[in-house]
Amino acid sequence: MFNTSLPLFRHSPVLIIAAKEIKDGYRNRWISYISLIFIVLSFSVTFAGSAITGTLALPELNNLITSLSTIAVFIIPLAAILLSYDAFVGEDESGTLLLLLSYPLTRSQIILGKLIGHGSVMLLSTFIAFGGTGVLLVLLGEDYGAIETMLVFMQFILSSFLLALTFILIGYLVSLRVTEKARAVGSLLFVWFLFVLLYDLLLLAVLVADFSFMNQTVINLLIALNPTDLYRAINIMAIGDQGGLSLFDETFWGLEGLYCSMFVWICVLMVIANYLFRRKPL
Amino acid sequence: MENNAVTVNNVTHHFGDFVALKQMSFAVKQGQTMALLGHNGAGKSTLIKIILGLIKPDIGDVSLMRGLSRDSSNVSLQGVPARLGYLPENVSFYDKLTGEEILYYFAALKGVGKAKVATLIEEFGLGYAKDRQLKTYSKGMKQRLGFAQAILSEPDILLLDEPTVGLDPHASQFLYSKIEALKQTGCAVIVCTHELSLIEPHIDTAMIVAKGERLALGSLTQLQALSGLKIQLKCEGLAEIVQKEPSLSRFYNNQALHFDRDQQDQVVRCLTSQYGKFVFSIMDPGLTEIYRHFMAESESSHQAFTLTPSLNAQSKTSLKSRLFSPFFGMKNV
Repeated sequence: MFNTSLPLFRHSPVLIIAAKEIKDGYRNRWISYISLIFIVLSFSVTFAGSAITGTLALPELNNLITSLSTIAVFIIPLAAILLSYDAFVGEDESGTLLLLLSYPLTRSQIILGKLIGHGSVMLLSTFIAFGGTGVLLVLLGEDYGAIETMLVFMQFILSSFLLALTFILIGYLVSLRVTEKARAVGSLLFVWFLFVLLYDLLLLAVLVADFSFMNQTVINLLIALNPTDLYRAINIMAIGDQGGLSLFDETFWGLEGLYCSMFVWICVLMVIANYLFRRKPL
Repeated sequence: MENNAVTVNNVTHHFGDFVALKQMSFAVKQGQTMALLGHNGAGKSTLIKIILGLIKPDIGDVSLMRGLSRDSSNVSLQGVPARLGYLPENVSFYDKLTGEEILYYFAALKGVGKAKVATLIEEFGLGYAKDRQLKTYSKGMKQRLGFAQAILSEPDILLLDEPTVGLDPHASQFLYSKIEALKQTGCAVIVCTHELSLIEPHIDTAMIVAKGERLALGSLTQLQALSGLKIQLKCEGLAEIVQKEPSLSRFYNNQALHFDRDQQDQVVRCLTSQYGKFVFSIMDPGLTEIYRHFMAESESSHQAFTLTPSLNAQSKTSLKSRLFSPFFGMKNV
């Protein structure tokens, strides 16, 4: 499957490293576990989500994506963190980081290779789970247009992939800074708590307090400063849902602007990861 | 020197206030093995990292031989970087990958083909386990795999950090036999080790370092001379001979004769011609004794410094340079 004898793999260190990370992810059963978690999450929200109302019915597409993104925003960062926390500290502990650095490779190539590998694992998992849900919806439901449903799910998978990349890179930053795997896990769980739970609570508190400086520009900026909020905003905007938080509805950057903000996050984190790797004591 | 594979010139390196290496200079020629010996924290690993180019020294420089053409008898190719092989200490590869996959991975990163990997796997006796995950490998098998990784690209310079730690004698012997074979191809080998008796028969030179400083450098014979350690001779009835022969009595101590190399002929001639002793054992001081000697000397000089706090910086430097001058003054061979 990841045959390094292919000319492309043989000559590109980035792809060789990426292929190894994918193989590692496959052997460690990461792909299976993450896919399984996403499938369970996606299927239960889709096919059993209406049970709380006392009925069993397939939800509207807009409501479904809102529900999926609300839960995925907790799970995707967590899965990305668990996949990436030992990317550097683990190799450092086992001695292979020193070995890799003695090879004719640049540090940027190592980071990029790992990012492509880990990103592929997350993309594959989200694609299997959410893509599978979309296909089942089209097959089982009567009110779902095939093209419209697949487009909505493709957008959802893309935004989930970008969110995963962001948290994989956050995982790299911590992995490059710490000297023990356990500390990496602890620090990243704190980061997850900060971004996924605490930040929104604080944001809500600030909005409710109704400070004079809080205008739409400041709110947009505050949303852009948290990738999980960007992810929610992207999905709410993409489906044009009126049931979501009005906070996101009022965002005037547009879908492109929100995607751009996500790309900025990824680029900035890449730059910081490169900087930290260059300065990492050996 | 033209055929120096590695030349380290006056390298000094600090980690904050800590001086990891002080004015370190040495060279290793093509086809030679140098043992890098020293206590934990002596600066060996820092030196290896500097040679690998992973750390830039604060002062000094390292030059590595250009790549050699294997087909045209050591003709230097301009602009071709030296091929480096490296085996870190206690390296633990990827547990979930098979031995073959690990070698393919590192081979691909070095641009080495699968055929070479297959050859190495067979050569290192790992063919039967190549499809097993690394977590099932013994320590010896992992070390063989690590060594195979280090020589994937037929290196010009091979750096091995504790290659035989935890290995049984047979496995250690196997690794050193591979090093001997590599030397024949012109590869320069630097081995960091604490297993002195194992490496002793395989070295061309040894460098002893302590607290970031070079204590001694040279071939075993040179180190023996430099240490001033005596040759030891034992034979049956030595006590009686010494009582009869005053010229030997001054060498006699602890049931053996101890003398310098230049006195060996005189002692042996005396024993054979005058006393008809043809069965005796002569033992040169080994690497272990030489190492202990220099370490003890270094330790005592360190204690001397700490016991004389009133010495000013200038006199400290002067005392230190006197203590170490024979070693620092020595030229590389």
